[in-house]
Amino acid sequence: MPGKDVGRKSTKRKQIEEEERAQTEELPADGGLEMLSDEEDGDAASDDGHVDEFPEFVNESSSEESDYEEDEEEEEEEEEDSSEAGEDSDAGSDDSLHVFPKAKTIISDITQQPKIVYPEIEPDYDSDSSTEDTPNRVGDVPMHWYDDLPHIGYDINGRKVLRPARGDELDKFLATVDDSSAWTSAFDKKAQAEKPLTAEELDLIQRLYTNENPDAGYDPYEPTTEWFTGKGKEEIMPLSGALQPKRRWVPSKWEKQKVMKIVRAIRQGRIVPSKPKTAASKFEAYAIWSEPSSSNPPPLPAPKPALPTNAESYNPPEEYLPTEEERKEWEALDPEDRERNYLPQKYSSLRLVPAYDRFIKERFFRQLDLYLAPRVQRVKLNIDPDSLIPKLPSPNSLRPFPNYKSLQFQHEKGRARCLSVSPDGEWVVSGDEDGVVSLWEIIVGREVKRWKFGGKIGALAWCPRTDVSFFAVGIEDTIYFVIPPNIDPAVLSNTQTALAPATLPPTPATPSPVKWETPASSAWSIDTPLLTINLIPSSGLPTHFCWHRKGDYLASVSTGGLQSNVWIHQLTRRHSQSPFKKIKGAVQSVLFHPLKPHFFVATQQYVRIYNLAEQKLIKTLIPGIKWISSMDVHPSGDHLIVGGYDRKLCWFDLELSEKPYKVLRYHSRAIRSLQFHPAYPLFASSSDDGSIQIFHSRVYNDLMTDPLIVPLKILRGHHVVDGLGVLQVKWCSKQPWLVSSGADGSLAVWCS
Amino acid sequence: MGRLRVKGKAGAAKNYTTRSSAVKKLQCSLADFRRLCILKGIFPREPRSRKKANKGSSAPTSFYYTKDIAYLAHEPILKKLREHKAFAKKLSRALGRGEWAGAKSLEENKPIYRLDHIVKERYPTFIDALRDIDDALCMVFLFASLPTSSRLPSELVENCAKLAAEWQLYVMHTRALRKVFFSIKGVYYQAEVMDQTVTWLVPYQFTQNVPSDVDVRVMLTFLELYQTLLSFVFFKLYTDVGLVYPPPLDIKKQDDGAGVNAFTLQDSSRPPMIQSIAPVTVDGRQITGKLVRQTIKNIAATLESDPESADVDMVNPEPSTDETNEEFVPRPSNSDKTINSDLPTLHSLSTLPRSLSTSLFSPYTFFLSRETSRGVFEFLVRSFGGLIGWPASSGSGSPFDESDPSITHVIIDRPVIQREETSEQRELRLRRKYIQPQWIADCINAGRILLEEPYTQGKTLPPHLSPFGEYEGAYIPSEEAVDNGSVSNIEEEDEDVDAEEESANEALNTAIVAASSDPAALRAAELAAEAAGVDFGDFEAKIKQVSKKQTKMPKTTEKEVESAEKDMNKMMMSNKQRKLYEKMKHSNKKKESERIELESRKKELGKQKRKQERV
Repeated sequence: MPGKDVGRKSTKRKQIEEEERAQTEELPADGGLEMLSDEEDGDAASDDGHVDEFPEFVNESSSEESDYEEDEEEEEEEEEDSSEAGEDSDAGSDDSLHVFPKAKTIISDITQQPKIVYPEIEPDYDSDSSTEDTPNRVGDVPMHWYDDLPHIGYDINGRKVLRPARGDELDKFLATVDDSSAWTSAFDKKAQAEKPLTAEELDLIQRLYTNENPDAGYDPYEPTTEWFTGKGKEEIMPLSGALQPKRRWVPSKWEKQKVMKIVRAIRQGRIVPSKPKTAASKFEAYAIWSEPSSSNPPPLPAPKPALPTNAESYNPPEEYLPTEEERKEWEALDPEDRERNYLPQKYSSLRLVPAYDRFIKERFFRQLDLYLAPRVQRVKLNIDPDSLIPKLPSPNSLRPFPNYKSLQFQHEKGRARCLSVSPDGEWVVSGDEDGVVSLWEIIVGREVKRWKFGGKIGALAWCPRTDVSFFAVGIEDTIYFVIPPNIDPAVLSNTQTALAPATLPPTPATPSPVKWETPASSAWSIDTPLLTINLIPSSGLPTHFCWHRKGDYLASVSTGGLQSNVWIHQLTRRHSQSPFKKIKGAVQSVLFHPLKPHFFVATQQYVRIYNLAEQKLIKTLIPGIKWISSMDVHPSGDHLIVGGYDRKLCWFDLELSEKPYKVLRYHSRAIRSLQFHPAYPLFASSSDDGSIQIFHSRVYNDLMTDPLIVPLKILRGHHVVDGLGVLQVKWCSKQPWLVSSGADGSLAVWCS
Repeated sequence: MGRLRVKGKAGAAKNYTTRSSAVKKLQCSLADFRRLCILKGIFPREPRSRKKANKGSSAPTSFYYTKDIAYLAHEPILKKLREHKAFAKKLSRALGRGEWAGAKSLEENKPIYRLDHIVKERYPTFIDALRDIDDALCMVFLFASLPTSSRLPSELVENCAKLAAEWQLYVMHTRALRKVFFSIKGVYYQAEVMDQTVTWLVPYQFTQNVPSDVDVRVMLTFLELYQTLLSFVFFKLYTDVGLVYPPPLDIKKQDDGAGVNAFTLQDSSRPPMIQSIAPVTVDGRQITGKLVRQTIKNIAATLESDPESADVDMVNPEPSTDETNEEFVPRPSNSDKTINSDLPTLHSLSTLPRSLSTSLFSPYTFFLSRETSRGVFEFLVRSFGGLIGWPASSGSGSPFDESDPSITHVIIDRPVIQREETSEQRELRLRRKYIQPQWIADCINAGRILLEEPYTQGKTLPPHLSPFGEYEGAYIPSEEAVDNGSVSNIEEEDEDVDAEEESANEALNTAIVAASSDPAALRAAELAAEAAGVDFGDFEAKIKQVSKKQTKMPKTTEKEVESAEKDMNKMMMSNKQRKLYEKMKHSNKKKESERIELESRKKELGKQKRKQERV
């Protein structure tokens, strides 16, 4: 069908041209046209709904085939026409492309002068003006105004110029293929149709295309026309009448000065042409220190290396030479760790000494030290180390103090946990973990009496009263009060009345959970206790007793039980009371103040001082010990020592701060027990390392002098068993004697 | 409430700068920074808390004072270093493009820096500089002995050799040398210049190889500074004693291997022409009546027909001046004493004690054997006023040859070899003393002429000890060698004998010990002794011994008691004091143990020796 298509298209064009022609011919016939367009519109709408479609196509598609042959003929004709036109245009271009016809020069009949005569313009169909005049005379208006109208404007007579038929894209393409002149035609907006370009226009386009001047008649190489210059047109007079400045014709003074400066420098040799800078600045020494320097202090000189010692000699004494092991050890060490960077060597003569292979390296390291090592200035302490030891009075001048072990008393089984010395200082009771309590004489160490209790003995305390004589024994949940044998009958009766009065005191309003029991007078014997205090069950083993100085109150601390509890037992009232409703921490030890109604309670880390009369806390001491083991108060009541399981001993001045005045750490193991001597200025501490340390402790009355503490003697003699050493020490109240009990089951008396 | 403080704006964070930030601040390469630090004597500091100084980071780095870095930033050399960097770029570009002429002119105009101002800054006074030349001398002497290579240009080595020679000349001229020590590393010298002791170490004359793990750049930078410093110091030293600096160098002599003698010491107050006629230089600082003595000396020098001083064409002022000094110095001082004996003048004080030791070798003439190092012994002998000659194989310029009759000592370092000799040679040999080199050093260190006998050729030398001494309380070998060794050994042997006897009579002894206090028991013991068959005299002696021991005993117990007291008193020390005490005790103990070990080893060696002798 392509052939057919081409045919159809060309027929369409033909038809359009014919119609145009017809229109131009039939311009006066108005009404028909109107009607036509209306019909067409309606048809178009009914056909396929496209408004833009030209109705002509639809209407006359039926006559396509019939017109086919005619169309071909006409087409041929057209081609001929165009070829003719081409020839014409070619001819025109040959004669310097004159748009107008050539003028003829004739001699006028009248004036006899030559005159130009132009040919007559024939205003026919072929004439220029008729072809130039487009039928559309709407002027320079945007043509899209007519986009949806059937016409594209109006002609000179005011009649509508109908839109020429425009093919679809396919037609356009076919036209480019079929029509040889299609590529030389351009779209004419006014006519809304393709118009072939004229030869002039094509020429113009070609010129523009080749970057030539679009004007064909322009000659770029015209000879110049000299209007103002050239021969005979020279300017003779100056433009202005001003005088020329001097500088125009005198050489510059400043330039001369500058040049002369350089010249002079060259003459004097200051400037040497092409003198190398580097060679000129050859170093030469001069008196650099002749003029004073700035006031800045000089930097500290670097430390000098150590001078060589005998060991570095090429021929050292033989004892300096290293043994084989030392040599190996030295070689095995890293070079940085070596104390000396060489091994001593001995050569029999100087001629045999070889080169030192690390010489350069050592120099290099010295330099590294100089610029890479940080330097710190240190003050060198040049003192005798012994001068650091404090000067204290000699122990010999502070006699008496326990010096040697005078006797030893042995418990058969178990550790001797506790002991107590009678107030008259003649008897000792000691208890062990086997439940045996022994009474023995301090001077000869002979056992007088032995009691057997069912359970560990936790604490023993002799009543400080002198008119009575008994001691308290602490066993699991119970406290027994026992009277020693062989005492003065008066004292005995006193004691019996004190412990088991005939008439019991009235029971207090608030009954205590602690029960006091006394056996019937018929059952009294030396072997059995006269008074028993039953602590509340499961309160544990009483580990610490403390009598008030008047002997009426006994404070007991039980730590073995579920909760530690403190009880104060009053003998006269046969009543026990707990001073604290609730207490923070596990109580380790308690003490009565020797003079005031104060009560010291040591928990694990703190010592609290309470006023019992006012029922309030006075002070909390912070010893800084992890676990307090024991404490004791000075007989004056102003100083307190606290010992701990972490080996520390703290001395508190109670009038000063709550921090210790002095902390001592001299035992190698935990401190177990401490006590001040009641009369002499002494105190002792015992430890798990098996030693007892005796101190002189003088306390001065005036507040300005610090207490004097002098270590006097280390007593050794107890064996360490299972990591436990000396468990308790007690002073004899009248003599400077000390009784100690050890984990090995032995008790020792230390005399001065 | 105080003002809120922003972290890192004050204190250590501001006062310290890490090395990398310092390099960034100075806008130079790390190598340049190192160079600057070396030249300016800037070294890292240790902040009290590294974390605080480094904005919370504990990464290992070195810190500098920020002020030090600011000080470096103003350094003109830093600018020169930057210029040099630009120059290097230009040069490499020119070379790359093949612009030889441009490269040549660039090379000619290469930026160089001078270190004068740095020397002045670091050492504001001359004494500061003099105090710090130890390291400089060591380096210069080391580099003077190194072989040249691409990294060590020959000019550098030459300059170092020149500086070393100048220093030696000065020390010889002023007789400043005090001590010398032959160690396994090299020879240590100690001189006293302007009351400053200067110690330097010179390696033995062997070819040293620069190890590969040594950064030569660093050493060369140090050397750069040291060369400048030394030339300024020497200038001052030379001009102070009235000499010309630099001393003129005779190139021909240097080529012949004259060493130090290639340089000529020139008196700056005279033109060199007169110098050659009267080769006397004057130690200007030393003399008070300078003019008078000078004229006397001149007359003496001109009149002197000493062949040595005449044919020594290099200016060798020491012998002549010294001889004259020996003649003249004591007399003025004597006269001074007779005139105003109550007031010793500074002059008499400074000249008297030294006159002997500095002219130690002046009466002697030495000759070096071929195998000894000429540089060392020429320096040593001439520093102490001796005359020295050497064979031609050790270099030119020897003032006399081996056959010279004036030679008193020959320094020889080879074993004795029996060989045939002519009577003439024999005579010469008998007239001279053949000593080993150590004699020279030991004489110098002892400050007197030692007996030549232990040092003669082929003998086993006595140990060579350090003249610089050891720390206080250290083991002193010489003392032990003299007296303690033999005595203690004898004692020990006695003790051995005692021990045997004691074991036999132990029972009796204990009885005696027990008895000596109590007369009744004494009698009982006497009886027991009789029964045991002990002689009465022996018994008496024993009693005495025991009583003596007993008197000794309390002493020891007293000591024990005292030490126990001390131990107890240590309880009362504070923690800080105790730690300090322990530290001191530790170091003391270490020293003590060192000493004891050396002593015991000495004893052992002595015993072995004696055993060998017995065998």
